[in-house]
Amino acid sequence: MPRMKSAAELEEFRQQILAQRDADQPCFTLCSGSACHATGCGPVAAAVEQELEKQGLTGKVRFRRTGCHGFCEQGPVAVIYPEGICYLKVKPEDVAEIITETIVNKKVVDRLLYVDPTTGEKATLENEIPFYKHQQRLILGLNLEIDPQSLEDYLAAGGYQALVKALFEMTPEQVVGEVKEAGLRGRGGAGFPSGVKWDFARNAPGEQKYVVVNCDEGDPGAYMDRSLMEGNPYAVLEGLMIGAYAIGASEGYVYIRQEYPLAVENLEVAIARAEEHGLLGQDILGSGFDFTVKVHRGAGAFICGEETSLLKSLEGMPGEPNARPPFPAIKGLWNKPTNINNVETWSNIPLIINRGAEFFNAIGTEGSKGTKIFSLVGKVNNTGLVEVPMGATLRDIIFKIGGGIPGDKAFKAVQTGGPSGGCLPADLLDTQVDFDELTRAGAMMGSGGMIVMDEDTCLVDLARYFLGFLSDESCGKCTPCREGIRQMLKILTRITNGQGKEGDIERLQDLAETTRGASLCALGKTAPNPVLSTLKHFRDEYEAHIHDQRCPSLSCKQLIAFHIDPEKCRACGACLRKCPAEAIDGGKKRIHVIDQDKCTRCGSCLDACPAAFGAVGKLSGEPVPAPVPEEQRAIG
Amino acid sequence: MVNLTIDGTQVTVPKSFTIYQAAEQIGIKIPVLCYAKKLLPFGACRVCLVEVEQMKGRLIPSCTTPVTEGMVVTTSSDEILKVRKTVLEFLLVNHVIECPVCDKGGECELQDLTYELEVVTNRFVGEKFDHPTDESNPFIERNMNRCVLCGRCVRVCDEIVSYGSYSFVERGFETKIATAFDRGLDCEFCGQCVSMCPVGALLPRPFKFKARPWQLKHVDSVCGYCGNGCTVTFGVKDNQVQTIRFNDKNGVNDGNLCIRGRFGYSYVNSDQRLTRPLVRKNGELVEADWEEALTAVAEGMNRGKGTGIISGARLSNEEFLLLKEVAAAAGTTNLDHSGGECYKGLTEGVQQVLGLSASTGTFPQVEDADVILSIRSDFYETHPVFGMVVNQAVKRAGAKLLVVSDKKGKFTKLPNAETLLGKPGTEVNILNAICAVLLESGKAVTEGVAGLDELKQSLTDYAPARVAEQTGVSVEAIEAAAEQLAAAEKGAILLGYGLSYTANSRELGIAAANLALLSGLADQDEAGLYVCGEKANSQGAIDLGILPGESGLGVQAMLDAAARGSLGALYIVGEDPLTSFPDGAKVEAALKGAEFVVVQDLFLSPTAQAADVVLPAASFAEKDGTFTNAERRIQRLRAGIKSPGEALTDFAIFASLLEKLGAAASAATPGETFAGLGRLNDAYAGIDLNAIGPQGVVWGGEHLQPKVRNLVPVSGREPLTTRYQLITGSALYHSGTTTTHAKGPLEAVPEPYVELSREDAAELQLAEGDQLRIKGNGAEIRLKAKIGARLPKGVLFAPNHFPGTGLNRLYKGEAAVVVELNK
Repeated sequence: MPRMKSAAELEEFRQQILAQRDADQPCFTLCSGSACHATGCGPVAAAVEQELEKQGLTGKVRFRRTGCHGFCEQGPVAVIYPEGICYLKVKPEDVAEIITETIVNKKVVDRLLYVDPTTGEKATLENEIPFYKHQQRLILGLNLEIDPQSLEDYLAAGGYQALVKALFEMTPEQVVGEVKEAGLRGRGGAGFPSGVKWDFARNAPGEQKYVVVNCDEGDPGAYMDRSLMEGNPYAVLEGLMIGAYAIGASEGYVYIRQEYPLAVENLEVAIARAEEHGLLGQDILGSGFDFTVKVHRGAGAFICGEETSLLKSLEGMPGEPNARPPFPAIKGLWNKPTNINNVETWSNIPLIINRGAEFFNAIGTEGSKGTKIFSLVGKVNNTGLVEVPMGATLRDIIFKIGGGIPGDKAFKAVQTGGPSGGCLPADLLDTQVDFDELTRAGAMMGSGGMIVMDEDTCLVDLARYFLGFLSDESCGKCTPCREGIRQMLKILTRITNGQGKEGDIERLQDLAETTRGASLCALGKTAPNPVLSTLKHFRDEYEAHIHDQRCPSLSCKQLIAFHIDPEKCRACGACLRKCPAEAIDGGKKRIHVIDQDKCTRCGSCLDACPAAFGAVGKLSGEPVPAPVPEEQRAIG
Repeated sequence: MVNLTIDGTQVTVPKSFTIYQAAEQIGIKIPVLCYAKKLLPFGACRVCLVEVEQMKGRLIPSCTTPVTEGMVVTTSSDEILKVRKTVLEFLLVNHVIECPVCDKGGECELQDLTYELEVVTNRFVGEKFDHPTDESNPFIERNMNRCVLCGRCVRVCDEIVSYGSYSFVERGFETKIATAFDRGLDCEFCGQCVSMCPVGALLPRPFKFKARPWQLKHVDSVCGYCGNGCTVTFGVKDNQVQTIRFNDKNGVNDGNLCIRGRFGYSYVNSDQRLTRPLVRKNGELVEADWEEALTAVAEGMNRGKGTGIISGARLSNEEFLLLKEVAAAAGTTNLDHSGGECYKGLTEGVQQVLGLSASTGTFPQVEDADVILSIRSDFYETHPVFGMVVNQAVKRAGAKLLVVSDKKGKFTKLPNAETLLGKPGTEVNILNAICAVLLESGKAVTEGVAGLDELKQSLTDYAPARVAEQTGVSVEAIEAAAEQLAAAEKGAILLGYGLSYTANSRELGIAAANLALLSGLADQDEAGLYVCGEKANSQGAIDLGILPGESGLGVQAMLDAAARGSLGALYIVGEDPLTSFPDGAKVEAALKGAEFVVVQDLFLSPTAQAADVVLPAASFAEKDGTFTNAERRIQRLRAGIKSPGEALTDFAIFASLLEKLGAAASAATPGETFAGLGRLNDAYAGIDLNAIGPQGVVWGGEHLQPKVRNLVPVSGREPLTTRYQLITGSALYHSGTTTTHAKGPLEAVPEPYVELSREDAAELQLAEGDQLRIKGNGAEIRLKAKIGARLPKGVLFAPNHFPGTGLNRLYKGEAAVVVELNK
């Protein structure tokens, strides 16, 4: 395919692609995002290809491997078109049946359908599944329609129309105006209005300007950007090009984590394909607009998600933040005006240009427009990627979409905004997710991480965990972050070890405030959030740890003990066999007893004890009952 | 300008100011730790946080935040103090408290802040650092346990020195400042990092346990080495210069120094110094008193065949004046100051073209130059601190740096540097070719310029293609250089001269000045052409005419005459010609041929050993007076210590000698003499010694406009085509021969060497440190091989600082010497 030299050629090419496609042609769509790779989509894909060939269907049935569908809990996910039948947890051995039954015989394979755990009802189509039904997947939805390495798929799905519109029907000012009007706010965490940021870079003096994609997604458990980059790299590139056109940049960089090999691969293929077709390079589609993109792989430092650190790293220096001002829009990459947005922000641009600012700003709340993708993880039934309009409540996300908490446990808290976000308790479940509401509640939007915790999670320990992460990831440049986080971590570690002291809460509060107020970049400024929000909502847990040496969630190892209730023990030996520390004394028809000195509090005995007996229990803050004397241990 | 309010006081400052600078302007001192005036804002320590009404809800780092109109700033409040105290507590958690044995004690910024903020207890505990101390070099001790991670050393080494020795490594609490691969420090040893360190993490090793800061007497003077003219502040105790103190308030160097300035002072304290006059009796030099020695000198000079006076360029202006009086009293016009007559680039070259014998601009004007052309890469080595100005121009202001040189060097490694690497001795050809391109392309400035046709005619031999073929520099590079120079809004051409570069002096001066005219650089309001002398008062020597007088002999003619036996006496002041002059054999013959030789110096140099009378002189640290640096800045020298034994200042010696010669000094003290300098040079007239403040006085003003605009045709030369050729020059760590008596520089580069390319070394199967026999000009010497990436194939470089190498038996002043090599 030669380079396309005009918008008309592009449209002609699109029509050719569409003409070759039959909407009624069966299509086996297999989610092949990283999560489904982990659950085994590779062997499934091999089976599909084999089976299609075996049944002589190659070419008659399309087989499309797509990016992430979002329902990672139930992967690998397959969707059979044109009906849109959704099969979950598909295994290679299911493939023949799916092809024979569903594709050839047009029958549904019941056993692979989604079953509602509460009602027991089955859902055939994807959008009948509650997980999907309550989402509004304007961005993520495209993942299902395209093979991320196929430019044809992206074009068939309407790709590059926004670029053509921007290049040929809009001035750069109008593009910036549209983004401003849309009310798009940066999805990377800070929520700064993207159009305003673009305007700064556009108006900054200088010939050479840059646009950058921040795909250094470092929050533990968050993978929105990975899934977008893996599943639809063309949309990111299209958004980036529109931004470059608006700002006046001719070079772009994608800073992407080394840990995202599939995203890197798909992106590089997309860039190569776009270059071949004249959708990158000189004089794109004859518009006079030149644009090239380079991919830079990050070496894995959390701090490099912070924009000034990212730019430093891109320049080949250690990733450490710079004081702002000057902002990157004025002095960014190599001191040139630079606009940097995160993957999801860029992905929103084609939508805004295609559908218009009014369409976009009709979605969401007063201050936050459009949709937001969250990665819903932790103690929730349906873990996965969730895209909802701004303003959806935490309750809807966790319970309607997420299907609530597994194992009859009670919801305790949700941490939004990644490691330096905040924990919100049950009474704030009706908080709307929007930049300002979450901040007001003491948490933050961040880039969209959402970690659900049940009653077994100790919030003090959770704060300690996050501070440990942040202490490791603090770049060490500024004093308050470098030392303040470490000091908070020391105190939290002490508290969870049962060595909390009077005054620790006040010291934590003080440290948190200093670190928040005095740190150089957002890492340090937000690092105290886990402490502050848990102190605000779960202060009693801190007090229990400090004053009573009790962990109310029975989670902190140093504060709990396992005990076998002599009344309930049936001497089955299950716990004794499982105990890795040989801490259980017992025998045939003898009550089992845990030697507290040997016990490592791993909990194996609790897991091993048959539910019918329920003899093993956890204690905290109370003395462990004395062991039954040897002579009384025989069970009659 | 921007108006803002700080602690209730209105202040108006330029909009480039930070809050910190604005506060400083009205005398409000905000505490800082990582901030340093000459470094880019960093904002790491967070001690300088303030409150800004318009930015409520967070504290604002005053050192990085620019002022905005209407800003209302509070620099001190309970909240601010609390945070500052906490930050200090944080720093003190892991900082080892060794104040009683730390050399920084008494001037430690962490100590001062802790005291000022009354941080008497620490709420926090934590491990202390336990890094081994780096004592791998003799200059700088690195004790990272005391480091507060302010990054000043990292930044100064990168931003100003452009060496990049340090970097932050690891992260979080593990963060530390390290050298490459965490090995011992091995760098230029300029000690800039030491001067920037707020705590005792980086200390000058020669000063360890020498004195407490408050025991030192501070004396501001001027460095006695090169023409850069850096302010040095002696830290004096027990009549010894114990250390050079950091001083960024005085002078032109902004507190920056090179290894020579910072660590090379030790020769003044050397026990090898001459302390009594020596007179040759029965073939032996024996101690004598001043009366006897000076009487002998006066007699020697009066023997009838005439006297030749050869001076070094490290005498003060006042001493030069008296030296001229000595010459007059001795009835001679045979007076000169450089064996290579290398100053001719200025006195003849630039003089002919521009009517000036000095640089047009000042050093700071180069800080924001947009195009800089350095002739010879070793400009950084002859004038290191001016080199740092170039570093800043390139790295901060994005200046384009062009280097016309026969070897690579530090400049060629700078970002944006384009090296026009030519064969030795062909710099004039390359400059001519650039001129030719300027004229050809119509970009040359020719209005009001004389001699255009003649120049054009002469440049037909220097078409870029031909010069490219001759020199090995590409046509594109020549054309690009011309284009950049023509487009320069504020350009600078740098040419250093000195004893190590004696060939083509006049020609280079002309070629550079022609280029300065045609590119328009000579007619800018600032910067322009810099022709910089090698020694501390080279410019003063020219300004005051330490040059052959009417029908007088220049130095080479004096040596010839002496060798022929037609010169009665040679009076050599502050120079060791046997070591430093080209053609050592000729010097030797002259010393033998002259009936009477007087040497006035600090040490018993090889030349002094051949003298009939040796007069012990004072070092720069022992005298009052003035030096004029390479940008025409007249600065005051102040005696920090007394001379050892009976050594006297050159001024005092000349004054006494004048009496012996039946004359009298025109003034009794250097201070009184200064007023007389105007008699020798109009530019000095009317300058009041007492008005020479910390920044000196630049004679002629910050910028000199050309007095004439005469283009002068000048010939280049055909390069040598032999397999090997030897060039000589200056090495960064040394300056003239004096540094070979200074502990610091001598520890960095202790012995002579010859540098050659890896390619040549491989061909000769030579390893680093192997002895190499070098034959040329009928002589043979042996030097240790140093193998590197700096030199092109076939070119060898030997620095000219070391006595006893016999280098000047090979080198007779040529641009390059044909040599043969053997293992």
